[in-house]
Amino acid sequence: MKLRCGTLARSAFAIVLSGLLLAVGCTTQYGVPPLERRAYELDKAIMCPVCPGESIDQSQNPLAVQMRAIVLEQLQEGRTESEIKDFFVERYGTSVLLEPPASGFNLVVWVLPPLAVGAAALALFLTLRLMRRPRTDQADIAGEPAQLSTEERDDYFRRIEAVLDFDAPPGAPAPTRDQ
Amino acid sequence: MVEAGQMALLISVVVAGYAAVASFLGATRRVPELVASGRYGLYTVPVLLFVATAALVYAFVGNDFTVRYVAENSSLAMPKAYTWVALYAGNAGSLLFLAIVFSTLAVAAVLSMRHRLPYTAPYATGIMALVLTFFLAVMLTLANPLERLAVSPLDGQGINPLLVHFGMFIHPPLQMAGLISVAVPFSIAMGALLAGRGGRDEWVGLGRTWGMISWLIMTTGLLLGSWWAYTILGWGGYWAWDPVENSALMPWLAMTAFVHSIMVQKRRGMFRMWNMVLIIVAFTLAQLGMFINRGGPVPSVHSFAQSTMGWLFLFFMAFTLLGSLAAFIWRSGTLKSRESLDSMLSREAVFLMQNVLFLAVAFVTLWGTVFPIFSEVVEGSTLTVGRPFFDRVNGPLLLLLILLMGVGPLLPWRRAKARTVIRSLRFPVSAGVAVGIGLVAAGIRQPVAVVAFSTCATVVVGILHEWLRGTSSRHRKGESYPLAFGRLLAGNRPRYGGYVVHLGIIMLAVGAIASSFYSVQRDFALNPGDRASLGDYSFQYLGTQTSTYADRDETVAEFQVFKGDSYLGVMRPFRAFYPGFRISAARGAIRSTPIEDFYIVPSDLDREGPAVFRVLINPLVWWMWASGPIIALGVLLALSPQRQPAPSTLRVPSRLRPAGA
Repeated sequence: MKLRCGTLARSAFAIVLSGLLLAVGCTTQYGVPPLERRAYELDKAIMCPVCPGESIDQSQNPLAVQMRAIVLEQLQEGRTESEIKDFFVERYGTSVLLEPPASGFNLVVWVLPPLAVGAAALALFLTLRLMRRPRTDQADIAGEPAQLSTEERDDYFRRIEAVLDFDAPPGAPAPTRDQ
Repeated sequence: MVEAGQMALLISVVVAGYAAVASFLGATRRVPELVASGRYGLYTVPVLLFVATAALVYAFVGNDFTVRYVAENSSLAMPKAYTWVALYAGNAGSLLFLAIVFSTLAVAAVLSMRHRLPYTAPYATGIMALVLTFFLAVMLTLANPLERLAVSPLDGQGINPLLVHFGMFIHPPLQMAGLISVAVPFSIAMGALLAGRGGRDEWVGLGRTWGMISWLIMTTGLLLGSWWAYTILGWGGYWAWDPVENSALMPWLAMTAFVHSIMVQKRRGMFRMWNMVLIIVAFTLAQLGMFINRGGPVPSVHSFAQSTMGWLFLFFMAFTLLGSLAAFIWRSGTLKSRESLDSMLSREAVFLMQNVLFLAVAFVTLWGTVFPIFSEVVEGSTLTVGRPFFDRVNGPLLLLLILLMGVGPLLPWRRAKARTVIRSLRFPVSAGVAVGIGLVAAGIRQPVAVVAFSTCATVVVGILHEWLRGTSSRHRKGESYPLAFGRLLAGNRPRYGGYVVHLGIIMLAVGAIASSFYSVQRDFALNPGDRASLGDYSFQYLGTQTSTYADRDETVAEFQVFKGDSYLGVMRPFRAFYPGFRISAARGAIRSTPIEDFYIVPSDLDREGPAVFRVLINPLVWWMWASGPIIALGVLLALSPQRQPAPSTLRVPSRLRPAGA
């Protein structure tokens, strides 16, 4: 028991340590000027009009390169993100935004997923409850044993757990396989 | 040779059609001879398609530009090794490729099930033959790869230069094979359903095996695709939620749900209807993927092989969807569960939650991908649903899935006592919290990233803790540690193989989280001789060299790169211009380590004045590519045959044998 705790503690330490080591890779922002960082973020939200599906951040098309320069320039002039987005929407239409604005009909694209996930969660909960209700027609399935009494069942599960329990005292029957 | 191939194609479609009809008739009328003849029909299809493929290869190698497909997809200058890529680079060739892969898989599947599932096999054979007939008929009528041109050109048009990359040797064929391979478990499931055997769980073993094979092919295809995008598309990223990427992801999501949920049926005889629904959804999404890839309605960087034949795929998708739903409703009476759910706090319940979450991610992805079409119809204006949307909506769902991945395997089947759950979760969760605190202390302050990393740590610790407990428990019985560990893994392969896959997925997740939150980029305009630095890296731009090749002009930039004081070497990103295609491609130079990648992309080398480069530091991306072999290993472990399957239920309570016997 003592040895096991020692191993656990050591491995836990090793894991936490390696987790932190990994974190070394992603700490600071490396001193990229804040304005440029904002520009890159904004680039990722604007589509390159001539290369469908690609953001101007991603695309190497000359137009995208030009648009990147405009974004940076306008940020330097003190414009806000939304003003710059509007500037491009005016020229290229709403489709230039990679993230559809949450207004008008386009609200649907944002509203439906949470609704659907909510509905799915509700359906899941109801289904699980329904499935949990004890079945009455079990007896007529061939080979199905009769319903157990609670004591029988508890005793049964206790014995199984004794077999599966790794922390069981040495006197307990040794497991031959887990689960 | 080409004529022989033509002939073989023509015969193959007839034979496949016959195999479908004979199998179905033989199954419904109970004529074993007809069933056997249908089966043998299916066996001949890959042979015939092999002849056709050989003819096409022969035409490629011999530069026979009288064949339209050869003229359109190769040239005299093309290295012969790229014949393999050219085989599937165009529409017609990719159909032939799909057909030969699928027919081979189908034969393997029929061989694996004809003795094990005698009632199901004829129907499954029929369904696979039907799918094959569709592909072959479309190919023969609309895109025949062996069609001759009236006038033969002197040289071919050549191959798309973006495809000339090592990743292209494996990624597209695997991606296509992955999408079509979903049809195999689908056919087995539908075969069992049609045969009225869905309520007996005999099909589940093979359904799971083929489901996992298909899952592995799709996973490898997706990973290689991301790797290709990362190393060749030259934008420093690997996944952009582009429609074609989404269309490959959706069936993968459904298939992931299926290979988990099928375990519940295998062990507990539950979720019989649900598994049918999942595999129907998976196959439908796979067909949708093929449709979007093939001239679908959504614009994408990846669309290759634009054509109107996509709509035939949509039609066939509707046909299989309606057909399988009709079969499902007709046979739903045979799909009653053997067992009922004992508790909400059980592995079964978590499996179901996981399934719903996976389908939710698939739905969101589908929704975002097709919404522009609705918007165009209703609003009259096009709209883009891009990366920010998917990140924002799918991100939390994916995080929840990772959390479930930590919790689910630690819960027992049937029911868990709250005390037991707390005891088995106590250690992983506290380790996760410890990692979270450590990360904050180390300077990681993005709340979402901290939560995500902590969740990953919880999963990893949960898995390792379980391995450790199992190993030391065996060790106490006198086995040496390595032997105990090996026996532990070998003792329950589906379970421990699953754990290995989970570890691989965590590697993938960690890389994705780190690189999406902590990637650093900056554009530099440099003249030859200039020095600049980003983070710990400093680099000197030495200049460019332009060289002209038969098919392209290449401008290579040279950098000397240092990290701190140590010299890392010369990095050579380049831009190539392919006059034949009017495509210009940038290829980044990457110095990859497990901690971070240092990545230089030339944005603009040709203009007057300084050249423009984008430099990125992408943390932990290495782990994403390293996860591939781990995942494959896990799947193989989970699939490797085990002599005695674990008992699914124990039901001898009145005559309790001594525990452990």
